[in-house]
Amino acid sequence: MNLRALQGWKPTGLTNGPNSTPHISRRQFARTAAGTALAATVGSRLWTPRPVEAASFAPVPIPGGTPFLGGAYHVFGPAAFDPPDAEPATITNLDASVGLAYVSGMVTQTNTKTGDVQRLPFVDSDMRFMQGVFRGTDGKVHHGAFAFV
Amino acid sequence: MDVYLPGQGNQQIHDLNPTAFPPVGLFWTVEIPVGGVDVHLGKGSASLQASNVAILDYGNIPNALFFDNPLPTPGTVSFKVVWNGVDDRLNINNTDPVFGGFAGEFIRNHAQMEWSAVVGDFMFVSDPMATSTSSFAEIGHERNGSFLG
Repeated sequence: MNLRALQGWKPTGLTNGPNSTPHISRRQFARTAAGTALAATVGSRLWTPRPVEAASFAPVPIPGGTPFLGGAYHVFGPAAFDPPDAEPATITNLDASVGLAYVSGMVTQTNTKTGDVQRLPFVDSDMRFMQGVFRGTDGKVHHGAFAFV
Repeated sequence: MDVYLPGQGNQQIHDLNPTAFPPVGLFWTVEIPVGGVDVHLGKGSASLQASNVAILDYGNIPNALFFDNPLPTPGTVSFKVVWNGVDDRLNINNTDPVFGGFAGEFIRNHAQMEWSAVVGDFMFVSDPMATSTSSFAEIGHERNGSFLG
């Protein structure tokens, strides 16, 4: 994620204050359900990371969110569009090691059908980790590691 | 991961995020094996790595946050991020009502990343880690929510 890319772009729906929420239609919610099912299908073939919502308990999102996105999303962008000392974690009730980086470089994209190859930049990709203990939605303390991609 | 067309004022063409639309709960955060994170705050170093993380390619950030149209393409990504150095050490106790609600010990330093992904007909392989750069990076240990105070 490169939220810095949004600095020159802001939807009018997010200018109504910190408690405003982007309009999400019922059709989009239906798509969400379909997308979740699709992700679950893809994810079922993988043994590694899984969406945390799939667990019997889950971490709790931080209560706030960046004013830049109207406060509707539980994330801050330290040193991007929020102060450098803004909260880097996305999980609350957390006692953990954390890390955040905005990383840029080059990537080679290959179209596996046509063989077409392109050299492309990746820009300020926002990568984070949280590793330690957290109080989950079940009220109990758990140990875990999380990646923000 | 955020991939752009080359050139000034470039257009984003791939936006790989790990959770389904809309990201209004835990924001683009997935559980990974605990061994995927290794932190040495005394040395100012840390690493984050994971393999075959299920992602959805929304094309660009606005589509991932607000529209979900066109629908994303599922795929997987593997990555390794490494933090190194000590530019600054900070003890942060951020009580700001918007950006704060946490305390911790942080190190501002630098990070690099290498990654690969498969999304639809596209395969991505980044250049070696040493060729990447970070515009902002920090690691630390923080407490928030019920662990604060």
